Amino acid sequence: MPNKRIVITGLGIISPNGIGVDDFSRAVFNGESGIKPITLFDTADFKAKTAGEVINFEPAKFLGDKGLRVLDRSTKLLNSAARLALDDAGLDITEENSRETGVVIGTNLGSLKSISDYDREAILEGPRYVNPALFPNTVVNAPASQVSIRFNIKGFNVTISTGFTSGLESINYALNAIRLGRAKTVLAGAVEELCIQTFIGFYKLGCLAGTKNNSIELSCPFDKRRNGLVFGEGSCVLVLEDLDSALYRNAKIYAEVKAGATAFEPAGLGRYNLNSEGLSRAMDQALKGSGLSSKDIGYISSAANSTVDADLYETKSIKNIFKDYAKKVKISALKSMLGESFSASASFQVASAALAIKKQIIPPTINYQDKDFDCDLDFVLGDGCEENIDNCLVNAFGPFGENAGLIISKFK
Amino acid sequence: MQDIDNEIRNLVAEIIEKDPSEVGGEARFIEDLGVDSMMALEILAALEKKYKIAIPEDKLAEFTTLNSIIKVAKQYIAASQTNA
Repeated sequence: MPNKRIVITGLGIISPNGIGVDDFSRAVFNGESGIKPITLFDTADFKAKTAGEVINFEPAKFLGDKGLRVLDRSTKLLNSAARLALDDAGLDITEENSRETGVVIGTNLGSLKSISDYDREAILEGPRYVNPALFPNTVVNAPASQVSIRFNIKGFNVTISTGFTSGLESINYALNAIRLGRAKTVLAGAVEELCIQTFIGFYKLGCLAGTKNNSIELSCPFDKRRNGLVFGEGSCVLVLEDLDSALYRNAKIYAEVKAGATAFEPAGLGRYNLNSEGLSRAMDQALKGSGLSSKDIGYISSAANSTVDADLYETKSIKNIFKDYAKKVKISALKSMLGESFSASASFQVASAALAIKKQIIPPTINYQDKDFDCDLDFVLGDGCEENIDNCLVNAFGPFGENAGLIISKFK
Repeated sequence: MQDIDNEIRNLVAEIIEKDPSEVGGEARFIEDLGVDSMMALEILAALEKKYKIAIPEDKLAEFTTLNSIIKVAKQYIAASQTNA
């Protein structure tokens, strides 16, 4: 593949701790949590009551009043993030560049509520009386498709559903598409919405924090008290662009995306396999693809989500690859502030890593109090820390065997 | 029957995202009001649900103005009341 350089030129963020780059950045670097009591549905019947919910979200502000009535929350979150990303990149979609622009979005649970609502109407009112305009929302690629429709983007339109790694895989797809000459610019991102359907699913599987006896409901990655994840939601869209195109447009450049890698190692269903080498392989391949060694990495944006085995698995994997340097490399877990937003998590991580590289500051891991001696790495706490960051490794993985790593670097 | 006229005007206005006062009886749906085929399907399904009637889909071709919709709807509402 021709070795084209690819840069991030725009960020669109609709997150639990801020909407837009400025709000998100201020919150993340100040260590402000976006996790609060859930308002989207009643939690009276559950032990878990908090989530990283996007509040004060007014889609009409980004998308106008018309045509929102039949779009579901995922679609509105994603389209709003896409609008912000295009604006941030200063990118106008025109007849000239439309076919050279692609859209690739990670989402897994995005259509669950729409399916449930659609079925509910059919059962309560009779199948004849369902609203046909709500049917398109029930398919998983509806949010991504609406981005292309709304912004008149005529290049490829792809939805990626690979579990917890979808946010990184969408960026990987974009890298490949640009390198193969299929696009000059790609909107790569992810979206998940918080709804009672997915909340109940994760709750009943026993994944949520604060649901076991005497456990604390807190997203505290790597902390001894961790006992499960706190749910999150939101959307993040990055504008990835061929460097020549970015320079030609005189676009601002946040960071360069070097290489991504994925590795699948089937584990027990829904259980982290602590002996799996999947994440190690993904990190190793991402480093090799970038032509870097582990010592070149100044910061790891961890995927740790406060689940006992997840955080341990990532610690072990980092030790595997980073060896002696493992305890020196700075690590931070964004999910301590945002919760676990599934597909969207990794996209938020990449956005915050791009901002970290731009500012040369590493955001903190919050809620860290009690040391777990099995997770003995150098976590950035408090107010974050200033650091020379040339290269950042972003990790993503889930309990089903999916693993991914991505390297982004200071643009030089 | 004036009530039904108003009900249908409000129902149509909500779906096509207009104020009811903007939806004149003879305003042409596509040319004047920007109604698309999905909205027309939605109007048909909403009428069926509201009045518990079944309107054959070939009647969609007659959904060109508010007045024509009211005419079709009343025809099927009357038929359902006769049958009941």
